[in-house]
Amino acid sequence: MSEFTGCPGSRAMDFRKSEARDEAPVSQIQSQLRQWPIQLHLISPVAPYYQGADVLLTADCVGYALGGFHNDYLKGKSIAIACPKLDQGQDVYVEKIKSWFENAKINTLTVLIMQVPCCMGLVQLAKQALANSSRKVPVKAVVVGLQGQILSDEWI
Amino acid sequence: LKDIVDIHNLSDEEEKELMAKIGQAIYPGRKVEIPRKERKGKTRSKELTYSPPMKRLVDEHILIKKWIALIPQALEKFDVNSNEDRELILEGVNFIRSYADRFHHAKEEDILFKYFDENSDILKTMLEDHVKGRGHAKATLEALEKKDRQGIVDHLTAYRELLTEHIKKEDEILYPWMDGKLSVKQVGELFSKFNEADDRTDREGIGRCEKFVHEVEKKFRKEEVK
Repeated sequence: MSEFTGCPGSRAMDFRKSEARDEAPVSQIQSQLRQWPIQLHLISPVAPYYQGADVLLTADCVGYALGGFHNDYLKGKSIAIACPKLDQGQDVYVEKIKSWFENAKINTLTVLIMQVPCCMGLVQLAKQALANSSRKVPVKAVVVGLQGQILSDEWI
Repeated sequence: LKDIVDIHNLSDEEEKELMAKIGQAIYPGRKVEIPRKERKGKTRSKELTYSPPMKRLVDEHILIKKWIALIPQALEKFDVNSNEDRELILEGVNFIRSYADRFHHAKEEDILFKYFDENSDILKTMLEDHVKGRGHAKATLEALEKKDRQGIVDHLTAYRELLTEHIKKEDEILYPWMDGKLSVKQVGELFSKFNEADDRTDREGIGRCEKFVHEVEKKFRKEEVK
């Protein structure tokens, strides 16, 4: 098979060998989602559940890769999801994130992205919104590996 | 030793080396393998990184470090009978009281330390340093009043030594350890509370403190060139 030369975010990989780890001793995991909608184009940045909240801005793929997503990251937070590679109209995203800072007066923003290079675009959108905002808020970037491991976790 | 090892947030290699040495000291000649304990928070990377509220405190240290680095020069040729020299010391103590103490240490004592056990040894040590620092500032002013040159030199030098160590402990050990313990929500709260504290501060007074340090730096630099 020839070596893959395209975008790392589109490269096919098979993790099936490590099946044993998915046997969690929990009969049912409680969802920590406390709002709807969640897609960044659909949400209103001033919805009540964003007011003063700790907000997660999550790349679409993270919810599938990160095993403990609900309990370790989503619990107690409000959320929006987006894909910096495929979504259109990302200038609207910058304005919505800015509105979280300025109008919803959120407490913190945590940007959860996958390790693939195109995902870094979501952190850039958050940085741009923060630079444009008159109100500053702590923003954290968490990078998730393709098999759900946390690769980095830094305030930016 | 759990707390001590925990607070220093060593890398895996450093912790292994330290525990091996402790094992050797307790059981000479015996090979002791001490398992590494999993801890909350990340281990220290080569470059220290801070959450935004901690970064603000670290940044405030920069101006304090600038003034305490200038103290030896300020004392070297200090003439207790010179109005200009006495004014410099007076403004220096005013900087210590306004900037280092009311602006910076108050943020720690009134806000940050409330998130932790104030009876813990590490916080008691930090609070004792603050009290000692205030004592040296007060004693410097008293010596200045009496035109007691040696008293001024002794207390300002002691303040310099105290704060140099104090800032190093905070930047390298205390703040990274606290960052590892704080939740995301608490980091956001601290950031907001620091903003509110800064909004309540006399900004002109802080501006005068910054100007004082920069002007003393400039003055001593010119004297060095001469």
